[in-house]
Amino acid sequence: MGIQEVQGNSKAQTYQKKKNAGRGEGFQESLLENLKYREQTGIDTQTEAKKKTESVGVGRIGMAAGIRVNAAAMQEALQAVEVRHMSYEESDHVKIAVTEGYTLKGKREEGADDRVYVEAKYDDGRLEAYQVEIDRVSENTQQEIERFALETVREA
Amino acid sequence: MEQKWSYLVEEYRAMLYRIAFSNMKNRADAEDAVQEAFLRYMKDEKPIQNKEHEKAWLIRTTIHICLDILKSGWYQKTVPWNESFESAAKNIYLPYQVRDDQTLEAVLQLPTHYRNPIYLFYYEDYSIREIAEILNEKEGTIKTRLRRGREEVKKLLTEGRP
Repeated sequence: MGIQEVQGNSKAQTYQKKKNAGRGEGFQESLLENLKYREQTGIDTQTEAKKKTESVGVGRIGMAAGIRVNAAAMQEALQAVEVRHMSYEESDHVKIAVTEGYTLKGKREEGADDRVYVEAKYDDGRLEAYQVEIDRVSENTQQEIERFALETVREA
Repeated sequence: MEQKWSYLVEEYRAMLYRIAFSNMKNRADAEDAVQEAFLRYMKDEKPIQNKEHEKAWLIRTTIHICLDILKSGWYQKTVPWNESFESAAKNIYLPYQVRDDQTLEAVLQLPTHYRNPIYLFYYEDYSIREIAEILNEKEGTIKTRLRRGREEVKKLLTEGRP
């Protein structure tokens, strides 16, 4: 009895495989059609999707647990730079986010008023630093580092 | 007071007061603890290797004095001076820090083993390595306490209890 059941199962599996194989062919056909269509129209769907996600702030989740650094923001206003180990006393503006697990220190760059140096320290020991070009930051930015850089300019 | 000691007091008084306040939660006891730390330093005259070592010694001693006071029988029988948190915490912020009394109050309510690492990390800007050295703990222990302490602060702010 037990053997018959096993045999029965294996038959079902063979049937499934055949069915899937057929679907696979169908999929391949539609994929080829789509590829042809894309070549004709010149639409790069990957780039389109990337643009859409970045515009709503769902880009690459940055190097931090607490702070999301959008890939688009990294290319434009934000630039990762070397950590200078700036103290609170040297900073123009300080944000302490205990519940988020990080601190931010900001200072306007000397001789370059449109640039702000931002240092982030996380409670897992990581240290990161960014240079923010203020002219490229939107007043309504949702990006934490950019927002903090704007606050630093106001405070300095 | 000798020039050496006046330099020492000038250099560390404000920082040690803030650390003592985070433990004692009132001005008078915090000032007493800092004075006691300076007195011990002056009396002992231990061979101090460098400035960092000196600073770490003073912070560690201040914390130990605070904990000794808090544990003492006479202190537990006393009633604290009725001072508003807002006025007492006035000197704890540095001028460029964004004031957030609610979070600070929650941090000060934490048990000692979470409170001191969190206070030193966020409010005094010490690194995990430095805190481990000051508190004589492993870096991994400090990381864990920072993470768990943060969760406790969240609970205090949302539910009103740790």
